[in-house]
Amino acid sequence: MEQPRKFADFKNIMDFITENLITILILVPILGSLMTLGFQVFLKVEASLKWVALACTIVNFAVSLVLIFDKRTASASGFFFEENVAWIRAINTNYHVGVDGLSLWLVILTTFIMPIAVISSWNAVEKRPAAFYIFILLLESAMLGVFVSLDLLVFYLFFEASLVPMFFLIGIWGGENRIYAAVKFFIFTALGSLLMLAAIIALYYLHADATGVGSFDYVTLVNSIRLGNLTFTAMTGTLLFLAFALAFAIKVPLFPFHTWLPDAHTEAPTAGSVILAAVLLKMGTYGLMRFCFTLFPDASREFAPVFIVLAIIGIIYGALVAMVQPDVKRLVAYSSVAHMGFVILGMFSFTEMGMQGAVFQMLAHGVSTGALFLLVGFIYERRHTRAISEFGGLANVMPIYATIFVITAMSSVGLPFLNGFVGEFLIMAGMWKSQALAVTATANWNYIATMAAGTGVIFAAVYLLWMMQRVLFGKVSNPKNKNLTDLTYREIGLMVPLLILMVFMGVYPKPFLDATKESVVSIQKGVMEQAGGVIEKAEAVPESKNSKPVHQTK
Amino acid sequence: MNSLLLIDLVNPNANISIILPELIVALAGIIVMVYDSFFPKQRNVTGIISLIGLAVSAILLAIMWSGDNIYAAGSWNGMIAHDNLRLGFSFVFLLVSALTILISTVWVENEDVPVGEYHALLMFATFGMMLMASGNDLVVIFLGLETLSIATYVMAGLRKADLKSNESAMKYFILGSFASAFLLYGMALIYGATGSTNITEIAAKVADPNFPALLLIGAAMLIIGFGFKVATVPFHIWTPDVYEGAPSPVTGFMAAGPKAAAFASFLRVFVLGFPLIAGVQASGYLHETWMTALSVMAILTMTVGNVAAIMQNNIKRMLAYSSIAHAGYALVGFIGAGAAKTIQARDEAIASVAFYMLTYAVTNLGAFAIITFLGQKNDRRTEIEDYNGIGFKSPVLAFTLSLFMLSLLGLPLTAGFMGKVLVFRPALEAGTTLLTVVVVAAVINTAISAYYYLRLIVVMFFRERTTAWLEPKMSVGLAAALLITVLGVFYFGIFSDSVIEKFSQSMPAVSRVK
Repeated sequence: MEQPRKFADFKNIMDFITENLITILILVPILGSLMTLGFQVFLKVEASLKWVALACTIVNFAVSLVLIFDKRTASASGFFFEENVAWIRAINTNYHVGVDGLSLWLVILTTFIMPIAVISSWNAVEKRPAAFYIFILLLESAMLGVFVSLDLLVFYLFFEASLVPMFFLIGIWGGENRIYAAVKFFIFTALGSLLMLAAIIALYYLHADATGVGSFDYVTLVNSIRLGNLTFTAMTGTLLFLAFALAFAIKVPLFPFHTWLPDAHTEAPTAGSVILAAVLLKMGTYGLMRFCFTLFPDASREFAPVFIVLAIIGIIYGALVAMVQPDVKRLVAYSSVAHMGFVILGMFSFTEMGMQGAVFQMLAHGVSTGALFLLVGFIYERRHTRAISEFGGLANVMPIYATIFVITAMSSVGLPFLNGFVGEFLIMAGMWKSQALAVTATANWNYIATMAAGTGVIFAAVYLLWMMQRVLFGKVSNPKNKNLTDLTYREIGLMVPLLILMVFMGVYPKPFLDATKESVVSIQKGVMEQAGGVIEKAEAVPESKNSKPVHQTK
Repeated sequence: MNSLLLIDLVNPNANISIILPELIVALAGIIVMVYDSFFPKQRNVTGIISLIGLAVSAILLAIMWSGDNIYAAGSWNGMIAHDNLRLGFSFVFLLVSALTILISTVWVENEDVPVGEYHALLMFATFGMMLMASGNDLVVIFLGLETLSIATYVMAGLRKADLKSNESAMKYFILGSFASAFLLYGMALIYGATGSTNITEIAAKVADPNFPALLLIGAAMLIIGFGFKVATVPFHIWTPDVYEGAPSPVTGFMAAGPKAAAFASFLRVFVLGFPLIAGVQASGYLHETWMTALSVMAILTMTVGNVAAIMQNNIKRMLAYSSIAHAGYALVGFIGAGAAKTIQARDEAIASVAFYMLTYAVTNLGAFAIITFLGQKNDRRTEIEDYNGIGFKSPVLAFTLSLFMLSLLGLPLTAGFMGKVLVFRPALEAGTTLLTVVVVAAVINTAISAYYYLRLIVVMFFRERTTAWLEPKMSVGLAAALLITVLGVFYFGIFSDSVIEKFSQSMPAVSRVK
């Protein structure tokens, strides 16, 4: 009698976990931060708090893997693991979360990067470790919330909430110019997202006017738009699109809104830079794809040329500026601007290939740029400088470091069989076939755009190889570098998972692309097939209310 | 029975029960005053009497709010309104008052304030505020306003030996009287134009006023008078000096309470008194004029308040400008109420302003609790420099103050965010170009305000302290106030569901004339 019952209990627990999986993902880091706080206040064990943080992030990573291996079918609205609970009834906003192919890998990227970020700051954080790990954990919750929210107000909430921990991370543990960088980071991003808030509320009322019920719910809104129940005048659509797009463009960051990024990256502590590059920037590109494309398909098509041009300027400009940076970290920061330009380019090509490439590139960039920032952090910890001129010939004293650096840089450049290649190739192939520029021109601008972007790849090779040559190769020019120790086991252990991913994603990208395919195609169709006001009712996503796993409100 | 009959003879429409909450507060004030003259300087006793008075009043209000509307019938010839505007705002006032008493515990102890008088004045001010929210007649509103103002003038100058406090009280008194005169003159003109001081009657009469020009001039005068009281640009000049000079707890009170009270009357007179009546040109003209005037004022108020706040080095002055900016945000909801197309939308918009003042009151009083506490005797430490690097020396205080700053900024999960979302809502619902511009201005202003709210966090956490830091001793009252405000900030930010619902549900039609 005992045995089956225990089994049933176990099964119940597992069911409970899978049914509330996303909430658990969001709550674990919050609980972790509370635990850290409690340990700090009551036990005064400052030195071992990093273990708490590490445990929480690893548990969260393990839990997030269920998202891949659980073979459940999507709910009718196309999302997995949906939860829908009323939050504020007076304004009809719900805690509605779920993942689909687009957000799945971003969630896992987040949970994957966080333990690495924690380990990378193992010895680096001497000042107030408790507060540091609390902010890191809170940041994880906020970032996960951004990727899983399906209610616009809840999305906005997490989007803004992610600012605060990062603000503190840069401001307290940053470099010399940290205050300027932190405030600039906060105000730039807050300005963009506040305009988005106004647009979100306006959307609520437009939906109320059109259908009688105001809604912040993403699934409901997209449904109404695809069914033609909710239509915008050209002017309204444009304004709303721009309000959303500005928020995301600043976050990405798209040229000319990128100026906060080099400052923030340079001043942030290593863990902060890694998280910023790997995850926070993706919130912008994710938002564009998830919200702008599906909510405002007409305006998205209309503005595609603008975004493509800005993306290309960003690719070339970012690369050129990176080339002349005297600081390694600033160089990597500008390379981020260029790489994110590629992501934007792929998204706005509105081809399946380009958009798939964009999503893949988001992950690839997260892995390889995150790794580059870690590598920069390693030498900074040893020498407390990042100036390229201070180094030279590091390969002689730090061979393992140099090897890893070369592989990582190659993946960032886009060498075949490494992850950067797959994304960039798909993006450019998608752009080549794109119709997005046909709106404004008779000539084949898509070819020109692709070629212009292609120069960016070459520039990337130039600035990264040149930097490596100056830092790693040649003779040891600076006597201070003669006695540098090579990477420790902790540092190598940190890099190994990233290196494995770089190679795996480059050699066998299929599982990643397969998982995102369905969602990307649905978004791509949503944008392209409504062209000219033709609305195919069959394409519409069914109401989320009919979906089964959703917890309905009373 | 007999006594009731007597009242009936004097005023056949008397209805004591409906103004019982107000009367209780006034009674508490009188008891405190009398008690103090026999047993002076018993700060705990007078404080507790006042808190009890406020609590009883709140319970009565809650009963009136939840029960079916037995109070709705004739009420003082329609001079007292009984609707959500009154009830919602009254709760704000009671909360503000109670928190002010708790916050003041350190102050009255350190500085030997005439505590009985202080508590009595606070009660009378609260009585005035509640009257301003419940008055459905220009005369009642004016009575409430004067009761409130005179009490507040004295409170601003309670620190008798301090020149700054004297200056503050004097300025407030002179400019305040000036504004009251405008208000009264405006009321007289409105009476001349419509033949009534009752707001319900005025609303019926604006369609066909006796003298349309008088109506417009009267409305303009009222805007000036109320504009002064809520501190909107260009009638805000007094605010920074008065807020800086007044003792910190009183400043906190002034920014949260009287401002909300002025908003309550302002809303009642303009939104309910000067409505847009379909197809009537005179009312359309009046409505359009005041809507435009207030929209311009809202944009100016937010912009001037926020930009000026950036340049302040004194935290009280900074929060004074911030309170100006917040009046601007509340005006956005106000204009939304004016533009509402249905009764329900209008009531929701009015509720949003009340809720906004509630969130602002909780946040602002929390901030002032810490400022009072850290400022110590005579507000010595109120320069922003004084907060340098205290972040990890007094982590609890510093994080709490940061929380209040983020709430004032309107970050999600805090009360300030919910308040902002709710006041922007009605303005966007109206959907006109003017209102959309106002909301966009509000949004840009919020981003500007990030600079100075963050500045305090930057100073506290990102800088190192160079001089010694000794955290003062916490009192029970202050700790309670901080706990209530912190919980309030999170509660209204996360679990505001039921509160908003309560605030915005429309009540059955009430307070009809006779």
